[in-house]
Amino acid sequence: MTPERFAYLADAYGANLQRWPLAERGAAQALLDGGNVSAREVLDQAGWLDAQLDSHQLAFTDPALARQIRQSASRRTSFWSRYAAWLSPAGLVGVGIAGVVTGMLVASMSVPLPMVSAEVLPSVFDQGDAQVIFTVNAEESEQ
Amino acid sequence: MKDSDPDVELLARIGNNEPAAVNEMVTRKLPRLLALASRILGDADEAKDVAQESFLRIWRQAASWRSGEARFDTWLHRVALNLCHDRLRRRKERPLNEEEALELADSAPPLDEQLESADRNARMAAALAALPARQREAIVLQYYQELSNIDAAALMNISVEALESLLSRARRQLRSQLADTPGLARPGRGTS
Repeated sequence: MTPERFAYLADAYGANLQRWPLAERGAAQALLDGGNVSAREVLDQAGWLDAQLDSHQLAFTDPALARQIRQSASRRTSFWSRYAAWLSPAGLVGVGIAGVVTGMLVASMSVPLPMVSAEVLPSVFDQGDAQVIFTVNAEESEQ
Repeated sequence: MKDSDPDVELLARIGNNEPAAVNEMVTRKLPRLLALASRILGDADEAKDVAQESFLRIWRQAASWRSGEARFDTWLHRVALNLCHDRLRRRKERPLNEEEALELADSAPPLDEQLESADRNARMAAALAALPARQREAIVLQYYQELSNIDAAALMNISVEALESLLSRARRQLRSQLADTPGLARPGRGTS
């Protein structure tokens, strides 16, 4: 690693080599171990800024906020999400049953009954309206 | 080699409605989220709102979290960062003014013997607040949140080189701003 590259990286990542890209750390350490003066100076300067950055501490002690957040976890389970685990398979079963029923209905309406002949199941459609009326009248007059 | 995500097991326990896991997640992530949002937004109250909203997303996501995609901590940073961006947009990128920054830094009342460090804290907060938004974001993610350069760059939708450039400029500006502060002498290379 050149001293220029070292300075570039220290400028971006600071003095702590642990914050540097992993691939660069070994070469950077070797440069320091080799006693490179400019690298050491660069590191001192970066270390000064790191110390300033570290001085910016935010003290958050807000038990009420933590409590609110914990409570929000127990409220998250709405009716649907609470039962989602078994509603989903139950829904699939329901859809399956509905499909089978629909299929049976469609089949019964579109396919002629194979085993049942017209003699077995006489229908009003087998004779015209006039025939039905005459037949009824004839039966009445015989009485 | 990808190391395992230390939060995955905790998420699974939250998915199973374990109260202890919820407590642990709050302990583990709340200070981190508050630190991120406070430094990006410069407003302690807004930071709390962002933290609360981020946790709601965690609770919703926990049961269905799939490991192997993004690390949970990176995902959480993205959520919080997006919430911060929404707020910054609503403010029309109003930069944090010095008074607000000092107020934020002073959120913990200093004792007499801590006056000096409280003063340094306040100056640093003000210097951070004076940075352009993208530079501040880069420093916060890489330095304070200790994200890897790859994760920080990905969160900011920029290349690692662009991140390094932002970091260098941010650190240069901070150095010059803080060096002008009385009582904050710095070691230097000549006059730079």
